[in-house]
Amino acid sequence: MNLSVELAPYNKRGLQLKNPVMTASGTAGYGMEYAELVDIERLGAIVSKAITLKPRCGNPQIRLAETASGLLNSIGLQNVGVDTLIKEKAPIWSTWGVPVIVNIAGESIAEYGELAHRLEGVAGVSGIEINVSCPNVAMGGMEFGKSPEIAAAVTEAVKSRTTLPVMVKLTPNVTDITEIARAVVEAGADAISLINTLTGMIIDVSTRKPLLGSVSGGLSGPAIKPIALYMVYQVSQAVDVPIIGCGGIASADDALEFIMAGATAIQMGTATMVNPNAPLEVVEGLERFMDSEGINDIAELVGVARLP
Amino acid sequence: MKQVLATVLSNSEVLPDIHLLCSPAPEIASESMPGQFVMVRTSEDHDPLLRRPLAIHRVSPLASPIQLALLFSVVGRGTKWLAQCKEGDEIDLLGPLGHGFRVQSRHLLLVAGGIGIAPLVALAENELARGAHVTLILGAPTQDQLYPAHLLPPGIELLVATEDGSDGQKGMATDLLANFTGKADQVFACGPVAMYEVMSSQTSIKGRSVQVSMEARMGCGFGVCLGCAIETRQGMKLVCQDGPVFELEDIIWRGEKGGD
Ligand SMILES: Cc1cc2nc3c(=O)[nH]c(=O)nc-3n(C[C@H](O)[C@H](O)[C@H](O)COP(=O)(O)OP(=O)(O)OC[C@H]3O[C@@H](n4cnc5c(N)ncnc54)[C@H](O)[C@@H]3O)c2cc1C
Ligand SMILES: Cc1cc2nc3c(=O)[nH]c(=O)nc-3n(C[C@H](O)[C@H](O)[C@H](O)COP(=O)(O)O)c2cc1C
Ligand code: FES
Repeated sequence: MNLSVELAPYNKRGLQLKNPVMTASGTAGYGMEYAELVDIERLGAIVSKAITLKPRCGNPQIRLAETASGLLNSIGLQNVGVDTLIKEKAPIWSTWGVPVIVNIAGESIAEYGELAHRLEGVAGVSGIEINVSCPNVAMGGMEFGKSPEIAAAVTEAVKSRTTLPVMVKLTPNVTDITEIARAVVEAGADAISLINTLTGMIIDVSTRKPLLGSVSGGLSGPAIKPIALYMVYQVSQAVDVPIIGCGGIASADDALEFIMAGATAIQMGTATMVNPNAPLEVVEGLERFMDSEGINDIAELVGVARLP
Repeated sequence: MKQVLATVLSNSEVLPDIHLLCSPAPEIASESMPGQFVMVRTSEDHDPLLRRPLAIHRVSPLASPIQLALLFSVVGRGTKWLAQCKEGDEIDLLGPLGHGFRVQSRHLLLVAGGIGIAPLVALAENELARGAHVTLILGAPTQDQLYPAHLLPPGIELLVATEDGSDGQKGMATDLLANFTGKADQVFACGPVAMYEVMSSQTSIKGRSVQVSMEARMGCGFGVCLGCAIETRQGMKLVCQDGPVFELEDIIWRGEKGGD
């Protein structure tokens, strides 16, 4: 039975995963705590928390709020900065038998390029995920991912400074996500991941004010799954690079839906935070499904839900 | 830190809307330190979605297998779900989590505001067993909301404050503080943010080591989501990983909305 997938078939270095299941950025930190809890080497890949050029403190409390089967967050890209990541985190990753993909966020197009440049040749880094979709920062973030021209320019800036496989993570907070997807693929994206969180808010009726310190936040979890799934279905038919599906995946059946919609691989965010074992349960569930359905290669399932 | 499915041994309402839940969870209990907590899953599906943080109330090392006790107020959907768990049900626990109390003294003064008694019982039990002197100031709105004295470890020196004066001194736990800080080398407190704010302005506390257990809304409980980060005088800290126990003087109160 073959669960392995290639995420960057058009890139010289390639990015082969032993299975299609990854943790989503921001929900497994830099992987260290997570490694204490589960056997991370059984995962396809780990995607690290968004990294910026300089360390960031993030947003004020309250940063999290639960909604019906969902989670609103406004972390605000708190992170240690790329230099610390290279010095302290990457050396640990280089000893792991699981690839780590670094999620990057810039405040300008040039900054994205600079981040890619710094990560070039760093042992322990297997790929880059461009975050043009963070809803929780004033400068940059999602704004880069809302315009096809800017998203393409960011992709080009990164591609021109790195030989690492590059995936671009799209925001769902747009009118037509396929337009952005086409633009970043034309600009050289090796793969596309989607979706990041949907912008939303919550009001505390007792104080009559927004509950989150930064007013709005990003919605994730099972609540957003149907939206994410349909976007994967659309985007996978609009471009010919691998799609990494993300948004509300909590079980093997959820993962199978995304794969059948056209995703080559999947990421699990909120589910990983709540149930650290969930990604491994999905790997096992995929194996069971393939076994019982007599499927030899997971690739046979990619996009099967598309209508002729 | 382990994720385990534990069987509920008992779950009873020991005080109005306050439950005591016992469960054998040796993987967690044997590693735990007073002040640490567990993240408890409070649904079988995705709603409520997040685990709930609860302090380790007590560890019974002599029971076989080692037992873990949780003491919780029923305040919302998650704790209501947990309150309905019966003997034989399974609960999904993640722990032990965080950094607990750092004890370096022979005479400890503990200050519990309401449900804040939860982690302090484990601390008292541990320290009394080590031969330390433990004084506990227990505060609650009324007598019938006071943690039952017979459940406290023997040998503890107990002082009571109730807001309506139905037991002990009339007033808040913090009103008793000034009389006793002189005797103790270290103060450990758990209660609402308002209690910590009162404490931080009390002169009898100045210059002493005072450790408080903080609350924040938690997504993961083990340092990966950064949802629980607070600003301290030592920089940004995670309540779940660097805390929940912090030095009182390190907490910056301005803009800190606290655990409500
Ligand atoms: C480290 C730590 C230890 C705790 N130990 C105990 C304990 O031993 N006993 C006890 O009774 N309570 C304890 N609490 C508070 C307890 O976690 C909340 O009362 C509980 O999460 C409420 O859940 P609910 O679903 O019943 O309420 P809801 O109001 O429905 O909760 C909704 C959301 O708000 C969050 N939330 C609500 N109140 C709080 C709060 N005070 N702190 C943090 N998050 C909150 C919940 O996690 C949830 O995401 C602790 C909190 C922390 C951070
Ligand atoms: C607490 C939290 C932090 C996140 N941080 C990031 C981040 O740093 N970079 C990023 O690209 N996405 C981030 N995300 C988005 C997730 O990676 C994912 O795209 C989204 O949560 C939807 O997937 P899910 O429903 O499986 O969580 C974050 C999500 C959460 C809940
Ligand atoms: S609760 Fe997730 S980092 Fe503290």
